[in-house]
Amino acid sequence: MYEIIVIGGGASGLAAAISAKKANKKVLLIEREHSLGGILNQCIHNGFGLEVFKEEYTGPEYAYKYIEEFNDLNIDYLTDTTAMNLVKRDNIYTVSVSSVKNGLLDYECEAIIISSGCYERTRGQIIMPGDRPNGVITAGSAQRYLNINGYLVGKRVFILGSGDIGLIMARRMHLEGAEVLGVAEIMPYSNGLTRNIVQCLNDFEIPLYLSHTVTNVISDEFKRLKSIVIQAVDENFNPIEGTQKAFDVDTLLLSIGLIPDITLLDDLSVEVDPKTKSAKINQAYETSVEGLFICGNSLQVHDLVDNVSKESERAGRCAAMYLDKVIKTRKKINIVPKKNILFVTPQFIDFGWEFTDLIVSFRANKKIEKALLKISQNEKVIFQKRLFFVVPAEMETVSFPYKDLDKESDLVIELEEL
Amino acid sequence: MYDYIVIGAGVIGSAIARELARYEAKTLVLEKENDVANVQSLANSAIIHSGHNPTPNSLKAILAVKGNKLYDEMEKELDIPLLRTGAYVIAHNEAEEKVLEELTETTRMNGVSEYALIDYETAKISEPNLASSITKVLSLPTTKVTYPWEVAFACMENAVMNGVEFRKNCEVTDIVTTDSGFLVKVNKRDIIKTKYIINAAGVCTDDIAKMVEREVPYKIQGRIGEYYVLDKRVKGFANHVLYPLPTELGKGVLITPQYHGEILLGPNSKTVDNKHHPSTSFEGLKYVKENAALLADNIPFNQIIRSFAGIRSSADVEDFYIKESKEVKGFYHLGAIESPGLTAMFAIAKYLLDDIIKISQKYSLKTDFNPYRKKPLKFNTLSLEDKKQLIAKDPLYANLICKCEKITEREILNAMHGVLGSDTIKGIKKRTRAGAGLCQGGYCEEKVMKLIAREFNKSPLEISYDLNETKLFVEETKVKKNV
Repeated sequence: MYEIIVIGGGASGLAAAISAKKANKKVLLIEREHSLGGILNQCIHNGFGLEVFKEEYTGPEYAYKYIEEFNDLNIDYLTDTTAMNLVKRDNIYTVSVSSVKNGLLDYECEAIIISSGCYERTRGQIIMPGDRPNGVITAGSAQRYLNINGYLVGKRVFILGSGDIGLIMARRMHLEGAEVLGVAEIMPYSNGLTRNIVQCLNDFEIPLYLSHTVTNVISDEFKRLKSIVIQAVDENFNPIEGTQKAFDVDTLLLSIGLIPDITLLDDLSVEVDPKTKSAKINQAYETSVEGLFICGNSLQVHDLVDNVSKESERAGRCAAMYLDKVIKTRKKINIVPKKNILFVTPQFIDFGWEFTDLIVSFRANKKIEKALLKISQNEKVIFQKRLFFVVPAEMETVSFPYKDLDKESDLVIELEEL
Repeated sequence: MYDYIVIGAGVIGSAIARELARYEAKTLVLEKENDVANVQSLANSAIIHSGHNPTPNSLKAILAVKGNKLYDEMEKELDIPLLRTGAYVIAHNEAEEKVLEELTETTRMNGVSEYALIDYETAKISEPNLASSITKVLSLPTTKVTYPWEVAFACMENAVMNGVEFRKNCEVTDIVTTDSGFLVKVNKRDIIKTKYIINAAGVCTDDIAKMVEREVPYKIQGRIGEYYVLDKRVKGFANHVLYPLPTELGKGVLITPQYHGEILLGPNSKTVDNKHHPSTSFEGLKYVKENAALLADNIPFNQIIRSFAGIRSSADVEDFYIKESKEVKGFYHLGAIESPGLTAMFAIAKYLLDDIIKISQKYSLKTDFNPYRKKPLKFNTLSLEDKKQLIAKDPLYANLICKCEKITEREILNAMHGVLGSDTIKGIKKRTRAGAGLCQGGYCEEKVMKLIAREFNKSPLEISYDLNETKLFVEETKVKKNV
């Protein structure tokens, strides 16, 4: 029997499995694709690893660093294998996994780490009026077709959403000989990393239309995308009449956000945060179901893979500690996001977990040039820090000691504009 | 020489093809699209109405009530999906209650077997999210929900099993009347001879009729209906089909639980010039949201996974037009089949053959007609134990391709190579629901594409989402190009 089963072998699962194994636990990792590495395998651009390795790698190179260590530690894993079902009974988890090679098998363990990544928001989840032709495709799907399969989805491209995948794909398709006519972003600021705006758009003179969205999609008679119309929007995101611009394109890439994939948790009654669209966690990455841990993009969508690795390494260590039965009491308070905070993790503090420092990640809900982050309890400030250029596109993480907290009242996190 | 050519393989053409398959007649179905049920039959509310609102004694009323009952029979023969939801038609105030009472009288006159006027509190017991502004409800227990594409598919599959020929990608471009019947020109090229023509071309019925008649007795306009789909995780939010009071534009914006667990909001109703181009609009989708909110409180709009527009026929005649042509013998109209066409489809097919064509005077019944068709196995509906046993026999059931709807490789291969196989992404989606869930194909489309390439020995460059003309990719990269 394994002690810990890790679901997903991308950046998050690899780091979590490695740290759990280093804590001397029996670990099994389940990966549904043929190779380990997850989405990094299709991210052939560079820019990965600056935080963790102080060097710049491509996605596959970054993944390989972890796969090497994973293999050196002789961690058991199954590829081409899908976790179909997850149940918990008498503190034992049963994962049903399915593969052509081994059929449908049940594995039991004491702790689970969910590191199943995220999926892309689709056209259906936003209001995009018009026809439904072929050629409207999520940026990540187009990236997979191009970088893994070697096929180009179109030659004249527009991109909706300035998320990083969209920006990366703008450059990628341009370099493959496609004409990229522009990127529209409904918010008044970009949702991607600044370096990607510079290196993927500015360097190739691809225009970025802020406060614009796609308001019409037009198909040809064979259901192929023929053109799109973009329009400026007001502060309530309503299109402004008279600002229409049409583009003849055969492809509209969507880079409109990522959503954590927690479908495996459907049968467990896990508390879900409507803001992160994932399970709520305590400071040990443990969900409301004891022994069920979650990390990486299946917990919250990150901007940098380095942060995924660091977070997941901590989650792996916590899962190992859980097995060492260090948690005696279960006493919780909430961390409540208030002014200018879009979301925060962890969503609660469990005093059964005795750490010296609390690590809090959050996103602002608007752009603030000078901000004061305040974390307080009973109106007493526990931690505060000045932050500059806080934007929703970049997740902030802070760490501070928290040993003298009142175990009865909630923490409040807020951002004051200075 | 064929006896019958059926033009159109939507739900009506498919039901007729399956009825014709009972007889010793040589039948061919021509479909201009790349699949069965690709236009009106694909994008609609999927409701089998009880027959509560058509004008009494109209064909619409008679065939809807009869058609609703026939679904129960066809469920046994064709193994078609059927969800017995029942329906509530709602009223908000005294004025609306009066209209609801009139509708109840229409319901009685149409011969609907079960109906009852109930108060809000009673209705709320089985429909907890019913809008608190509602005062009175007409309950219609015989209303059902189906999965229209699969109904058409089941009919056509059974028809083909019984000897009917089906050809997709065959657009009828001209018809010449001769002494012995008709010459039907397909794709401006091939000519096919037939004794009789059954025109079930949906929104194109008037265009087809123009090829043989000087004066077509009806004109079809397109009417668009826009919808939102809520993810199947909201299952149980609404248990009945919820109707507002009908208006002259139709049945209004509804809340409809779907067979596979999603909930549909819509449609609005908007007449358009181009009947081949269903497209959504800001205003239309906004209207759908606002009007759905009159039926239920706290609709989980954050669970929307898709919006779409469906095209519907809107005719300038009030009733279904199911007749032989006045100008040309042997040419049969299925004109003006608007709502409740899906409800009435089986009754329409029988009415056409028995009362209009009087087919038993022309052709004898086949002795070996097999009315039964089994629906494909849905792996995910099995118990864990059954899944294990099946995988032990066939390991391809262990390869999960669509993770949202939990569709396996074997199910996809079955869909590709079935009686009515398919080699398009959309064809596979219709047959298996791979790509119909939360991520809308983001994960599985690539895997389905690869399976199509492997199974049909195609290059990915030859693979289409839907129509043959439109491929997924424009070029292969990293290959040496001839200059």
